[in-house]
Amino acid sequence: MKRVRVWDLFVRLFHWSLVLLFAANALIVEEDSRTHEWIGYAVVGLIVARIGWGFVGTRYARFASFRPSVSAAMEQMTDIAAGRTRAHVGHTPLGAWMIYNLLATMLLIGLSGYLMTTDMFWGTAWTEELHEILVSWAELSIVAHIAAVIFESRRLHTNLPRAMVTGYKDNLPD
Amino acid sequence: MTSPLQVSSRTPAGLLILIFVQVICTIFFATDVVTDFAESGLPSSGRYHLIVEAVATLSLCAAIALEVRYILNLLRRKAHLEKSASIATMAVFDIIESHFDAWQLTPSERDIAMFLVKGFTIPEIAAMRGNAEGTIKSHLNAIYRKSGTHSRGDLLSGIIDSLMAERPART
Repeated sequence: MKRVRVWDLFVRLFHWSLVLLFAANALIVEEDSRTHEWIGYAVVGLIVARIGWGFVGTRYARFASFRPSVSAAMEQMTDIAAGRTRAHVGHTPLGAWMIYNLLATMLLIGLSGYLMTTDMFWGTAWTEELHEILVSWAELSIVAHIAAVIFESRRLHTNLPRAMVTGYKDNLPD
Repeated sequence: MTSPLQVSSRTPAGLLILIFVQVICTIFFATDVVTDFAESGLPSSGRYHLIVEAVATLSLCAAIALEVRYILNLLRRKAHLEKSASIATMAVFDIIESHFDAWQLTPSERDIAMFLVKGFTIPEIAAMRGNAEGTIKSHLNAIYRKSGTHSRGDLLSGIIDSLMAERPART
């Protein structure tokens, strides 16, 4: 069993900043306030920075190390079905799909929110509705993400939430 | 070999999409039931509406559970039957599986037992499954205990015997 550094400082700061900012905007901050808008811009800034880091960052932060793949995702589901515990050092294939989903959803939430503030779309119902549907989708995805992290932590005997804090994954095969 | 007598073991993407849509619907209905109940309590007028809605939601949950189980079974089968298999292979496979059913093996034990039948060694199975060899050995003990056999040869004999008798095991 070995310990591998998988998440660099940028990835970890990005992850937990996004958690705080999204939670603040979705649950706490007043919807029509300026603060809500500024937090929204900050989230978009974070996502754009993360996408940039996906091309120039460290090994497991790069998109090249977790390309979206249907066949790899099916393989991971087969592992789950057959009770196999093959480890993935970086993102798992199913986890990768969740990341692309969350990155895209956050960007679209930011875009629809921005459109609501422009003269052209101010007061239109569909932008507001789209914004709310996207937020519901994001919340649903986050619940699924947390459930999957707990499930995979137990299945693979690796504390994944702690890895996102310390940067190290434990219990990987030699 | 591309004879028409081949059975595909592909996972139906349609079923995955169906599960996904049903999960969304379940969440939608469940929140509706909860908000209706919170708003009105249980007045006589809305009671039947609420009950019907709750039953619909629960049956959706049951359907999702069944579909997930079906998909997991399909994936387990696919784990040992890559691409497509002939009818004869499928029949042999089914008989072996019916033994595993009768012995009530867990998903991990079934996976290991199938590798065992195929003739893989313990280190090979450990490598393919990402387990330690000790884990495989303890699973093997459980397989022998549940099947009432003592060795790989013993286990194989039982399966081959039932193949020649042309009937699946019923314990």
